[in-house]
Amino acid sequence: MAASLVRSTLGCQFARFLRPSLITAAGQTQSQRGVKRYMRAYLKELYNRRLRVGPEKLRHRSEFMNWNYNAEIYAFGKRLGEEFSNDSLQAAFTHRSYIEAEEARRADLGIDVASAPLGLTDNSELTQKGEETASRYIKAYLRSSYPTMFEEAIVAIHDHLMSDDTLSHIASHIGIGDLMLCSDFPPEESTLSKNFLAVVGALETDKGVKRAESLVRDLVLAQLVGKELMELWSVTNPMGLLMAVLDSQGRGPPEPRLQWQAGQRTIMAVYQVGIYSDKQLIGQSAGERVTIAEDMAAQDALQRMMGIGSGHMPLTFRTEADKMELRYDPKNISAEELMQTYELRQKENSVS
Amino acid sequence: MSNRAIPNAFVKNVLQNGLGRYICQLQRVTLNFCKATPSSLGTRDFIEKYLVDFTRENPGTVVYVKPIRNRAPFLVAEYLNGRQERVSTKDMPADEVCKWLEHLRTRSGAQIVNLRKEWLTNTPSTQGVWHPFLNKNPSLAGTSFPAPELYGAKTESKSATDMVLEEAGVKKVGSVDSASSKE
Repeated sequence: MAASLVRSTLGCQFARFLRPSLITAAGQTQSQRGVKRYMRAYLKELYNRRLRVGPEKLRHRSEFMNWNYNAEIYAFGKRLGEEFSNDSLQAAFTHRSYIEAEEARRADLGIDVASAPLGLTDNSELTQKGEETASRYIKAYLRSSYPTMFEEAIVAIHDHLMSDDTLSHIASHIGIGDLMLCSDFPPEESTLSKNFLAVVGALETDKGVKRAESLVRDLVLAQLVGKELMELWSVTNPMGLLMAVLDSQGRGPPEPRLQWQAGQRTIMAVYQVGIYSDKQLIGQSAGERVTIAEDMAAQDALQRMMGIGSGHMPLTFRTEADKMELRYDPKNISAEELMQTYELRQKENSVS
Repeated sequence: MSNRAIPNAFVKNVLQNGLGRYICQLQRVTLNFCKATPSSLGTRDFIEKYLVDFTRENPGTVVYVKPIRNRAPFLVAEYLNGRQERVSTKDMPADEVCKWLEHLRTRSGAQIVNLRKEWLTNTPSTQGVWHPFLNKNPSLAGTSFPAPELYGAKTESKSATDMVLEEAGVKKVGSVDSASSKE
């Protein structure tokens, strides 16, 4: 065990002393005279020293010799397949915290900041711009992709996509982490996600809204592929909402029916409930109890209404998406409003 | 070593790459070589002949060339997922260096492990998963069992056995009626 640890930490050039034979480049085994037993103590000491020193300090990539910031910035734009202007990209990567830290450093050195300005602009403006564009486009894209989806669900999916979690994941996987000029290291999630939005804002400044929107689509909206959308939006009362929706459409009220059951009075019990409206099956699901199955069947019916089941069309990207007609302004039907109108109508009916 | 101890994984697409646009995952590559020793000859040739073409074709990858004295040459590739790959180009001719660089360029940067499956799909079935209640005749839900009419072989016309039994006035063996009459 110890020998294998020593070998793995120190590489094979030392390890060969521990073995009586070694394999040459040609694949033949070449014998060595004896085991160099004196090496063991030496390697063990090296290994223990390494343990005592602890792991290597995490260093910023720019501290290494092979680092050219201008080349890295240029490559970043090219990597995304976009033509950024150098100034806007530079601004997008500069955070307020970096400028403050730099000014403080200069003040410490006795340099007058007013007479020798840094000449850097921070990315707060670009971030705001990018956030507005991304937010507006995500909602518009979702509305046109899912015309029958409730506005609440669209907002929930939008919030998931615009969360620090999602955006920082995207930012770190397109190489923003190394390029950011900020005081926190390792970078925080919020800094990364703001920087990504600043890149979107910079692209909008340079190449217009269309290019920025296509970047948001290709990087942010693509994260929805393979996700269960109903998990992003939690419906508190699916059956109530279903009643309201069917009522607004002038269809009969939902009628849950037990379709199948098996293994009652065992821990593997399963019940399948179908929900019918005007004798038409609108949703069905299985569950370990009848109430659970009914709840899930109502969710299934809502899912089918919104067109987000596994049998529906996938999201569109590339040229297809460019042709798509976007609905920026008119919002989709709101589930809450539907419920309220339904309740009002119920009250009126009960009074009359 | 048991099979479980060997690292394995499913195919993974980092960041849904290529769905919208393709982003080359190789973010920077450093060519380390010696200016004098013969083991770096091929790497030096590669830098002279092909490196400029490579950078022109891949503007999204930053290339660093780093001379090191009296050491065997190697390439270090850094990927967007934060991993590094190192390839020794000792004694390699220039075209072999080309091949290795191409290998590094086209990789996702994920560690090479045993793949459990060579494909991956988000929707294994658009029809949904099969379950025992699928496509079952709804009339069965209201049937009370035992129901002998469901068990026999379904024939459109009478079989010869049926006709003989009918002639003899004997009930069919194994039917529920005969079983209950025995009791």
